[in-house]
Amino acid sequence: MSRPLEDILFGAPSPQAQAVMRAVSVTAAAVLLLLVAGIVFRFHSAGQLDVRFWEFFAWPTTWAFLARGLLGTLASAAMATLIALTLGLVLLLGRLARPRLVRWPSIAVIEFLRGTPTLLLIYVCFLVLPPAGLKLSTYWMLTLPIGLSTAAVVAEVYRAGVLAVPRGQTDAARSLGLTEAQVFFFVVFPQALRYIVPALVAQLVIVVKDTTFGYVVTYGELMQNAKVLIANYHSLVPVYLVVAALYCLVNYAISRESKRLDRPMH
Amino acid sequence: MSDVSRLLADYGPAFGQALFLTWKLTIVSFVPGFLLGMIVTVLRLFPLPPLRFVLTVYVEIFRNIPSVALLIFIVFALPDLNVLIDYEPSVILTLVLVCSAFTADYLRSGINTIAGGQIEAALSLGLRPMQIISAVVLPQALRAVVQPMTSLLIALMLSTSLASQVPFPGRELTALASKIANDSAAGIAAFAVAAAMYVATGLLMAWAGATLEKKVRILR
Repeated sequence: MSRPLEDILFGAPSPQAQAVMRAVSVTAAAVLLLLVAGIVFRFHSAGQLDVRFWEFFAWPTTWAFLARGLLGTLASAAMATLIALTLGLVLLLGRLARPRLVRWPSIAVIEFLRGTPTLLLIYVCFLVLPPAGLKLSTYWMLTLPIGLSTAAVVAEVYRAGVLAVPRGQTDAARSLGLTEAQVFFFVVFPQALRYIVPALVAQLVIVVKDTTFGYVVTYGELMQNAKVLIANYHSLVPVYLVVAALYCLVNYAISRESKRLDRPMH
Repeated sequence: MSDVSRLLADYGPAFGQALFLTWKLTIVSFVPGFLLGMIVTVLRLFPLPPLRFVLTVYVEIFRNIPSVALLIFIVFALPDLNVLIDYEPSVILTLVLVCSAFTADYLRSGINTIAGGQIEAALSLGLRPMQIISAVVLPQALRAVVQPMTSLLIALMLSTSLASQVPFPGRELTALASKIANDSAAGIAAFAVAAAMYVATGLLMAWAGATLEKKVRILR
């Protein structure tokens, strides 16, 4: 791996430049500390540092409740991912099929699910399906739309992977007498998966983010449980801060993993 | 079909306004978000450890926080800190922050595609670091990120639907569709029309992005 670009750019500063950089660094640090102090002071003057706003975080029941919310988030995200991975494969097969009668509808479904906000699909499951006689549980009202819209994205990710597999692999497999299905499932798709694992993991972040809409359908995920906590303790700022931090941590961990997988394997 | 035509007769102008509001929200959050992301990217290049640290934290926070959580925090929690922001600016601020973080991330990968030898060559020509950034680094990085930025623009357009989560003066597409579904039995038609408008806008953006990409792509 070569040196990062900024190291080359500022690689050999003159003593004068070094002094300037140090001075600017110290000033920047001072300004940023002042900013933090300002924020803390704002919290203090708004009375948000009062013990009563924070004390319930010392109680295990609070954390148990938040943990249950996080579990709800993960349960929904896991099922949505499962739906996305399988339905994505079905959509991919339709997208790659030669008969137009299969291919065009698949493209239409992919573009529709990909191009519509997940929130809109959640509203369809929440507002339109129940009067039409289809009553889903809150879990499915949240999970199904997320799974559907992610499936379309996953189908496109799969396709990028399949197109990246060298053509010679298909030709070689066919010349060995494998059937089309065998060529796809034993030769092309496994290799495609290896190219796209980082992209699939990155997609997981979006799934977790989308489960935040659980409060729309009152499904007990992290955001919904946060609202309940707020209603109980009248402590808006601390609860939202903690919940935001939890989301950031979970997603940051997933992003890190995706970037780690993205490093070339040798 | 007759449902849709009756719906358009009743709510046609409302859908037009909603579509327009969706576009407006997209543009007024994409442009500042993009510029802010560019500034963050450039500032992160400077050898100033405290600044780099804070900006990295900034990017990671806003890349990983769900936009709804951020919006809810800005709208419902900030007033407790005596920071009052109106609904529309709150939505725009949310989208700008998220957009800037993703822009910074993508531009950084764009910068990583530039060979170090180019920087050495520019330095040996006597260019100053700022000149190199503006004349060598940024132009190439920008040309390398057309595709991810197009996806970001489309994602941002879809994210404007979260404006429906706050009592917004105007209604964008998702808010309008859910209101119609609440008020009348024409719910499914309303959602279909809204979805068609989102899909059409997204396809238009994807086409424009692909055209731009073909024009500016660097063949290596």
